[in-house]
Amino acid sequence: MTSKLLEVKGLHKSFPLKNSLFQQKRFVHAVNGVTLELNEGETIGIVGESGCGKSTTGRCILRLIEPTSGEIIFQGKDITKIRKQEMKRFRRDIQMVFQNPMDSMNPKLTVAEIITEPLIAHSIPKEHRYRILKETMELVGLSESQLNRYPHEFSGGQRQRIGIARAITLRPKIVILDEPVSALDVSVQSQILNLLQDLQEELGLSYIFISHDLGVVEHIAHKVGVMYLGELVEFADKDQLFTEPLHPYTKALISAIPKSDPDEVKERIILQGELPSPANPPAGCKFHPRCAHANETCMSLNPILTDVNGRKVACHLYQE
Amino acid sequence: MANISKTLESLEMQTTLVKKQPSSLKLNFLKEIGSNKRARYSLFFLLLVILIGVFAPLLAPHDPEKPYYEALLHGPSKEHLLGTDSIGRDLLSRLLYGIRATLTAASIAVAITFTIGTFIGLISAYIGGIIDNILMRIMDVLLALPTIVLALAIVAILGPSLANAMIAVGFASIPGFARITRGAALTIKSSGFVEASRSIGSSHSWILLRQFLPNIGGVLLVYTTLFIGVAILDTAALSFIGLGAQPPTPEWGTMLAEGKNYIYQAWWLATFPGLAITSVVFSVNFLGDALRDMFDPKSMGR
Repeated sequence: MTSKLLEVKGLHKSFPLKNSLFQQKRFVHAVNGVTLELNEGETIGIVGESGCGKSTTGRCILRLIEPTSGEIIFQGKDITKIRKQEMKRFRRDIQMVFQNPMDSMNPKLTVAEIITEPLIAHSIPKEHRYRILKETMELVGLSESQLNRYPHEFSGGQRQRIGIARAITLRPKIVILDEPVSALDVSVQSQILNLLQDLQEELGLSYIFISHDLGVVEHIAHKVGVMYLGELVEFADKDQLFTEPLHPYTKALISAIPKSDPDEVKERIILQGELPSPANPPAGCKFHPRCAHANETCMSLNPILTDVNGRKVACHLYQE
Repeated sequence: MANISKTLESLEMQTTLVKKQPSSLKLNFLKEIGSNKRARYSLFFLLLVILIGVFAPLLAPHDPEKPYYEALLHGPSKEHLLGTDSIGRDLLSRLLYGIRATLTAASIAVAITFTIGTFIGLISAYIGGIIDNILMRIMDVLLALPTIVLALAIVAILGPSLANAMIAVGFASIPGFARITRGAALTIKSSGFVEASRSIGSSHSWILLRQFLPNIGGVLLVYTTLFIGVAILDTAALSFIGLGAQPPTPEWGTMLAEGKNYIYQAWWLATFPGLAITSVVFSVNFLGDALRDMFDPKSMGR
């Protein structure tokens, strides 16, 4: 029986727009009521187009961006309510791996310095640091001889290993992976994904895996959430979602995954129109201008995420 | 575990593809200075000047403060290579000893500028918001005054002496330096590794010292060098108008001021201190330019 580790309830984040003096203040709702549950040892994949708020969601969980409203319950405590100083205690258990390993590492620090930063930040005694550093390097497949090198001396895949090493030195419970393999070659991608899966087994990690690549998410995630314009439109077990997507947007996304079998006849759902501006989202269901099944209700009423056969979907087609 | 060792194998294949480079950034930096002609020559000249200043007692032919009453306002001769001043002091000896006062004053002034300017700039960029606004508006107001006027005002409060002049020059340059630091720090602030540090939970001082400083160090070094040139000029200027080094201390600015009274009778009195100031400032600026090119190849030849 797996236990609930992290619960995100109705997470909102809006950014104020630069407004002129006499205009009413306007906001971009980057994340709009996202609700997630993460169990121990589980991986949640969050997918969606660029700008749909998936990275913002990840950053809000760590309070790198302060959420506007909503609850993030970790170990029974709502971490959006605690003070910033107290937050440090929770950072030890929730770490993050960033998309661009070159940008997320200080070019002037050595690999050893980068990986030990979390140990120093959380005052791990000096005598343990080297041992932990060595163990971690081994876990991610880096050799000790590379300790005193600088990030620019590594290939993209190795750099991401350093990024992962930094995230797991404190042996956290949750790692938020923000597009960890998007900047890598396909061959290196699978190595990193395998590494992540091995680490999950070995250290009992839970992942929140943010990606725009459905293939990658299918490989690593147990549950998948699909986001569209800041809203979670579907949340289901991976197998359910990939074999029988419910939301029209999910259907379109999944039909766009390239198939390895050229003879397989596949109906492609091609979305019409552009992604609307998040500053000026359409009324009602945000997906209705691009949806083939849209009716009048969709234009006026925004569907809420509801349980449909043990999974969650936000679409009027399934609400009766 | 089996999987990990498999990924390890494939990793070893990758490793061989990565170019082996010498790991020490500091060593590379020294090498680069050595390979840059302009940097090499100007650095060599400056080191020479500093050495001469340090060994002035050994090199100077006469006591810089001893008047030779039989040789008042004598032009360059065998006995007095660069001539003597109005009370018969040996100009060459005074110039050599003057290196000490001039360069010490400039270094201390720049040290003040660097420490406080970097602090204000970093804090301003890092905290942002209202603090940034307040600090930068204060700097803007101070920037609206010419440095030398600001320095004048500070000396007027503290009283004329070489020590006060360098404090004044040091403080007067802070606004400019703080702005440069802030600009450089802002680019670092938006970088991914600062965000990563925050997500890890590192302390603010750690982020500032380990993430910001190493990355803006190059820019700061360049401007510190350039500010040394300005500081030499400003201290000399304050001394020239009598607010810096007091006679009989040999200081280039003071010597220049003494020389101007005899500009028609004794050209050497103003010329040689002037040349000394010019050549040192020139090579400091040259070094600064060369350093800037090294750190930012894009500005090459500007």
